[in-house]
Amino acid sequence: MRPKLQFGQRLIQLGVLIAILVAWWYFTLPGGINRLLLPPPAPVFSDFWVLLTTRSIWPDLLVTVHEWVVAVAIATVAGCTLGYLVSRSAYTVRVFDPLLAGLYSIPAILLFPLFLLFFGLGTGSKIAIGTTIAFFPVVLNTVAGLANVDKAYIRAAQSMGANDLQLFWSVMLPAAFPVVLTGLRLGCIIAFLAILGGETISSLAGLGHRIVSLAENMESSRMFANIIFAVLMAFVINGIVSFAEARGRRGFQ
Amino acid sequence: MNPRQGPWISAGFMRLIVIFVLLAIWEIGARLYADPLFLCPPSQAVAALPHIFGDPKVVNAIGVTIYELVTAFAISVVVGLAVGLAVGLHGFTKQAIMPVILMLYATPQAVILPLFVLSFGIGPEAKIAFGVSHGIFPVIVTTVAGVQNLRPHLLRAAHSMGASRWQVFTAIVFPHMIPSFFTGMRLGMTGVLLGVLLAELYVSTAGIGFYTRLFAESFSPPDLFALIAVLAAIAVTLNELCRMAERHFSRWNIG
Amino acid sequence: MNRGDAVIKVEGVSQAFGVEGDPRRVVALESATLDIARGELLSLIGPSGCGKSTLLNIIGGLATPSTGRVTIEGQPVRGPSPQKVAYVFQENTLFPWRTVIDNVKLGMAFQGVAKAERDDRARQSLEAVGLVDFSDHYPAQLSGGMKQRVQLARALGLQTEILLMDEPFAALDEQTRMVLGEDLSVLLARTGKTIIFVTHSLVEAVFLADRVAVLTARPGKIKKIIHIDEPHPRKSAFMTSPKLSALRNELYELLHDEIRKTLIQPTEAGAGA
Repeated sequence: MRPKLQFGQRLIQLGVLIAILVAWWYFTLPGGINRLLLPPPAPVFSDFWVLLTTRSIWPDLLVTVHEWVVAVAIATVAGCTLGYLVSRSAYTVRVFDPLLAGLYSIPAILLFPLFLLFFGLGTGSKIAIGTTIAFFPVVLNTVAGLANVDKAYIRAAQSMGANDLQLFWSVMLPAAFPVVLTGLRLGCIIAFLAILGGETISSLAGLGHRIVSLAENMESSRMFANIIFAVLMAFVINGIVSFAEARGRRGFQ
Repeated sequence: MNPRQGPWISAGFMRLIVIFVLLAIWEIGARLYADPLFLCPPSQAVAALPHIFGDPKVVNAIGVTIYELVTAFAISVVVGLAVGLAVGLHGFTKQAIMPVILMLYATPQAVILPLFVLSFGIGPEAKIAFGVSHGIFPVIVTTVAGVQNLRPHLLRAAHSMGASRWQVFTAIVFPHMIPSFFTGMRLGMTGVLLGVLLAELYVSTAGIGFYTRLFAESFSPPDLFALIAVLAAIAVTLNELCRMAERHFSRWNIG
Repeated sequence: MNRGDAVIKVEGVSQAFGVEGDPRRVVALESATLDIARGELLSLIGPSGCGKSTLLNIIGGLATPSTGRVTIEGQPVRGPSPQKVAYVFQENTLFPWRTVIDNVKLGMAFQGVAKAERDDRARQSLEAVGLVDFSDHYPAQLSGGMKQRVQLARALGLQTEILLMDEPFAALDEQTRMVLGEDLSVLLARTGKTIIFVTHSLVEAVFLADRVAVLTARPGKIKKIIHIDEPHPRKSAFMTSPKLSALRNELYELLHDEIRKTLIQPTEAGAGA
């Protein structure tokens, strides 16, 4: 990629961003778009600034993050355990892997009303949906990682006299680790999205809940500010998780 | 381990046995232990199906949902294809606009759902729009990728033989693009399902969102399970159709 | 224990895949019988699919024969015997997540060798192959030839009586092979181990081995065993000597027809050479 081309593209991207901001400002001038639907940039940015500098969002942010951490933890333990058990033989893989993949293809959000019924409107139902949805990439990747360890490594270890336990710890786990890590990253990300979705549909607290309340109260500029915050939060989580995966993979490639 | 030793039950049959055993555990466990306000055995859920289908308003809500899914899918595919081609065929626009598209693709759209409903109301328009918002990005991205796979010398060869732009498109660009386009369609369907269903569940004053809320609040698990099962079946069917189309057309995969 | 006693006895070993009567049945190896003396260097050579790697795997306990048996020092082989047999594989089997020295130590760890001793032995082995300076590198940072040398070091570190090598230089270019071949001869002469190695290279077989067992095309039988009467360590002068050329030519004559036969045989996935 020639630097000249890259600079031109960056310019275009910057231009697009500026164009969007300018259009936003223009169309929300008095007499333009309904301010309830699209508030002008100035109050949105000032509300966003308030968000960042005061602690008002912390309780809800903590609720969402708490739900996310618990969901990921349970999904990881359950997914890795089941993934390990399924990977033990080629037969169990053939039986269970399509089953798990098939379940994964059902939109998990459909289960949310069931979780609402079962766990109520509080954090339980969000943790449940987050866990359920994160479980699948973890278990599928664990199975894939453990079942597809290069046979050459296994033969070599066996020729050196490794027993089953040694084989597992010294060969299968490290060989499978990068793939499992990718599954964990995917799980983390979709768990966060599912939890935000759940909070939007029905909740008592959390980032999604805040946005819905502000919408219901027609407080558009604060709602926009919170939306921007939630989007940034998602990017931050994405970044952290991707970084962790890359670091984890480095020792094992 | 003797590789020739085959299991005496085929994997597919064993899978059915596993499903059966899981359903049996659910059935027996629910009958013995579950509080009927929260959980019901599968047999009761199945028994509730005629009750669900007997209520014309519920059937109507399901029908509207299907309509929304199909419409959102159609729009995602058509518009996504157009945008993908427009962006992908011109190298410069692609480099510049793709990052913006990818950024939009990565945003958690659940948080802008209230915005969609504020803008479009609580009718099918909001759900279709939200569905398109989810489904259009995979179509664009895979179309662009499919176009990108074209090797430039093929285009040059065609031009040198005097092919018009339209001929180049139909003879070279289009066939190369088909496999990834169908992959995009499958991913788009997944997105549309997520978007439409999320929007429907959010709007609890009408549509299936109303009924899921109703059944949950009135603590009637059989009705809720039955409704969810029907929706799940629709989703799986639509997904499977797209997957079959994708498999069929991936045979076109040219080098 | 005399040098020259048969330490490995291969008795009527056959290996077949598939059911008898099935046209798809593959007989990889047929009635292989041979004795290998202590301290001997034996090469197995033959066309692709002749069962030489299968035979090696059976001797090493990594495969079970359909008929016949192998005994090592009188004990029948029933599985890998890491105390007695060390293996060097053709493909890379160094674990990419471990450093070079940790790879060398791994086999010893499986055996329960004490930590301090593991370290000493690993360093000695790496010195023997000339790679002790790369102890803390990762396999990904090494060239193909270096990786093979580390695999050799790993096998040496196990301090076994017997060393089995399955086309250890197959993945390397000819020039690297030549140099490694000379190093190997020096190294192996020093250790006095009993070594069986599989190779495709006629020159390599003659240069390194005391005896060369030539196998026929599938089903693999031992066609002939050639003796190479040349003291160890083999000098580079041997490489260019007429004696080596004559022996190599003899091998060529024996192999030529067998190789022709394999060119018309269908290849079978699953019946390894």
